[in-house]
Amino acid sequence: MLQKKICMLGGFSVGKTSLVRRFVKSIFSETYLTTVGVKIDKKSVALPDKTVDLILWDLAGEDDIGSFRVSHVRGATGLVLVVDGTRAATLTAALTLRERVEAEFGAMPFVLLFNKSDLADRWVIPDREIDELRQRGWQVYLTSALSGEHVDDAFLKLASMVTK
Amino acid sequence: METLRQLLVSREISELSRVTHLLDEPEQLAAAVGDVLPTAVARATHAQLGEALAPAVERAVQRSIQKSPRTLTDILYPVFLPAIRKSIGEKIDQTFQSLNETLRHIFTWHGLKWRFEAWRTGASFSEVVLKHSLIYRVEHAFLINRNSGLLIAHVAADNATSEDPQLISSMLSAIQDFVKDSFNEREQSGLDTIRFGDLRLWSEVGPFATLVSVIRGNPPEELHEIVRDVLLRIHEECSQALVEFDGDSSQLAGVEAQLRTCVEQKQEESNEGFPWLVAAVALLFLILAGGWFFLSWQSGQRWQAYVSRWQAYVSRLEAQPGIIVAEQQARDGQFYIAGLRDPLAADPQSLLSGTQVDPARVHSQWQFYQSLQPEFVLKRLKASLAPPDSVRLSIDNERIVAEGEAPDTWIDRARAAARQLSAGGPEFDISKVRDVSPEVLEAKRWQAYVSRLEAQPGIIVAQQKIRDGRFYIAGLRDPLADDPQSLLSGTQVDPARVHSQWQFYQSLEPEFVLKRLTASLYPPDTVRLSIVNNRIIAEGEAPDTWIDRARAAARQLSAGGPEFDISKVRDVSPEARAAEHWQYYVSRLEAQPGIVVAQQSTRGGHFYISGLRDPLAADPQALLSGTEVDPARVHSQWQFYQSLDPKFVVKRLTASLTPPKSVRLSIIQGRIVVVGEAPAAWIDRAQAAAEQLSADGVVLDVSQLRELDLAELNHLRESIQTTDIFFSSGKVVPGPEQTPVLDRLADQIKEFAQNARKSGVTARFMLTGHSDTTGRETANASISAARAETVRALLNKRGVAPELLLVRGAGTFEPAVPENSQAGSSTNRRVSVTVNLD
Repeated sequence: MLQKKICMLGGFSVGKTSLVRRFVKSIFSETYLTTVGVKIDKKSVALPDKTVDLILWDLAGEDDIGSFRVSHVRGATGLVLVVDGTRAATLTAALTLRERVEAEFGAMPFVLLFNKSDLADRWVIPDREIDELRQRGWQVYLTSALSGEHVDDAFLKLASMVTK
Repeated sequence: METLRQLLVSREISELSRVTHLLDEPEQLAAAVGDVLPTAVARATHAQLGEALAPAVERAVQRSIQKSPRTLTDILYPVFLPAIRKSIGEKIDQTFQSLNETLRHIFTWHGLKWRFEAWRTGASFSEVVLKHSLIYRVEHAFLINRNSGLLIAHVAADNATSEDPQLISSMLSAIQDFVKDSFNEREQSGLDTIRFGDLRLWSEVGPFATLVSVIRGNPPEELHEIVRDVLLRIHEECSQALVEFDGDSSQLAGVEAQLRTCVEQKQEESNEGFPWLVAAVALLFLILAGGWFFLSWQSGQRWQAYVSRWQAYVSRLEAQPGIIVAEQQARDGQFYIAGLRDPLAADPQSLLSGTQVDPARVHSQWQFYQSLQPEFVLKRLKASLAPPDSVRLSIDNERIVAEGEAPDTWIDRARAAARQLSAGGPEFDISKVRDVSPEVLEAKRWQAYVSRLEAQPGIIVAQQKIRDGRFYIAGLRDPLADDPQSLLSGTQVDPARVHSQWQFYQSLEPEFVLKRLTASLYPPDTVRLSIVNNRIIAEGEAPDTWIDRARAAARQLSAGGPEFDISKVRDVSPEARAAEHWQYYVSRLEAQPGIVVAQQSTRGGHFYISGLRDPLAADPQALLSGTEVDPARVHSQWQFYQSLDPKFVVKRLTASLTPPKSVRLSIIQGRIVVVGEAPAAWIDRAQAAAEQLSADGVVLDVSQLRELDLAELNHLRESIQTTDIFFSSGKVVPGPEQTPVLDRLADQIKEFAQNARKSGVTARFMLTGHSDTTGRETANASISAARAETVRALLNKRGVAPELLLVRGAGTFEPAVPENSQAGSSTNRRVSVTVNLD
């Protein structure tokens, strides 16, 4: 049994919960997010040589970065940063969250998801900016919780990254 | 040389001397080593360094404690204090738990049982109480990485279920973090206990891993120690793997066995340890004691039951006739009885059966005596006299009475016995026994036969006697009387011994006279003859001829015979008969549906009748035939009316609606029901009729009518309507090439008309003549009409009824094609046919 703790980080209402709702195994209701501030889900990812269980800690989305409970990230081996493609501010929030985590626990592998790719007409993140992030060597995915587009790809990539 | 040496190695020499000096001078050496020691220690292999330093550190600590324990206590104080606090807390919890349980069970049945167990095992009572009252089971054990919250291992008890353990372990550590963060708790230990109803989560926190046990029930506090021990052992055995745990639990496979010891912890409600042997001995003792008590109580009861049964037996004996109980007693389980008994009385021994008194315990002493009670006297008489079956002995008011028939010998013996009956006994009355010797009996039977004959009408016994066992009888008999021979049967008189001599005569007894009259007069069915007070009376009606014959017979009847009264026979004369016939005719009319008789009378040999009649009802005149009423004397006056009797309504409907053959009208329970197929037009008419009738209260049900399938007719109609007869320009007679068309058209029209009639509709054919536009309009109009007339005549010639054919001329107004060519004109010069149904 190989498991990895993964934290999902992102601003308020970027769709983290929707991302996991359809693609992972979950036994806890979403009220945990508002009460305990975290909801745990599991995503089993089959890699060519093994299966790894990603234990996803879905941390309550917060725009106020100051109240972010960084202690939840302790012991994590990877991050899923989620950005709402229709709100530019959420990119800044995700990057800030990542910086805080790295400052506390050191660098760790991550994937960056631009969510809500199905809302093309309200999309505000320029392609140029995304390309720039990709050129830094970051794993960037345009995902849609609605269609499921690229969600599995992102988890697969992250799984291979954290088991290297 | 020295100079050379100085030149070459003088730096090394001075350096060497400095090092030597350094090594020789402890102060300087210490200073130098002190400079490098922290780095050296940091670089040294941990294991080796630890081993090397351990003895020195141990000694140092030892020395320090010997010298001043205070220092080390101060150092360790922050470490020990939480541990000690926790330990004391647990101990106090344990004490309270024990106290609680002890108090709860101190006076219960369980309490007594457990006191016994404590005495037996030497344990303290509270320990035993806890052992039994704390029912619990460890259902799950989770070993969770303290850093990441990832599950290292999970073990569940049999039958215990839970959701995904991986998710649970992460969530548990998330909740730990949550509590810690929420209340700013800095302590290293985590959340101790989570309790939810019957379920408890105990978490035991170690340096690298947390052991969470899920317990159902009420666990003892000592379980904490067991769990802690397990966690400690896991840390000891796998410390390296725990430190390096990165999510791959395969390195820590061994810990499951340790966790298993946690999960095996349980105290279940069971009877294990129950002192079976003691219980069995106690039970056996109880059974024996109970048995003894029961038996002694039962034997007491049984003796009581015996005595009461004995008393019942004694009172039964006392009630028995012919038995006198002198004394009785029950003593030492035995019963004694003494007294008198008649030999004919019931056997006291046999009376015992059914009383449930043991005969072996009964000691009886009976003296025989002769009872003078009538029953016993009767029994003795029956035994000594042996009465024949025809004699019945009975007791009536303390007297013995014999009744019936017996031969004189038995009567003599009975008389002797009556005299011998002792003075104090009952009286024996034999006066009701008749003497029946065989001769007497036979004579009696003969007399019975003779009196039977004498009572018989038409038989007169003149003489009869018995001589030498034979019976002689002579007399008169009417031939119509019963046969004396047949009357013998049932009298038990032997016919062979009977000698009869009968003379025939005519009896004047009314019955015989009546018989003879009936035979000679042949009265008609309307006359009834009967006997009233020895007179023969004729009643009823008869023709005058029969009355004359009866009168003659009455006169001829001999003087001594009964009177024959024919005054009550009415003379049925022709007038009376005619009136009767008239009444019969009237009642026949009244029974006729559709005829209402209002008035009728007979006057001066003529009959008058008036009333209402439906035109569809039977003709009153026709009904006269067969009634023997002379039509010439009948004067009728009938008003017509419409009867609402369904039968008449049906008749009228049939006449007015002329239903097609495929329709049937019938009357079902007073309703007129129309069934079958009909054309839509006919159905409409029937519906209209139904509406009209409903106003009169007559129900005409047309709901079962189906519309006639005219598909075949339609096909034919189509064929007829597409047929045109063409003409040459200016001609009103079609050319010879049109003959086959006309032939076919005539056949089709005839077939169509016939089929339509079958379905109840009338088909009419409109022949429309047309012309082309050449020439004047008025000429064209007349040509077109003439063409239609010609076709009508030609069709008529081919057998089509002329009244079915209508004719009109359309001139140029209804061209078949627009007229702009030669072909167009020749197409328009034609006669077309349209079919109408009504």
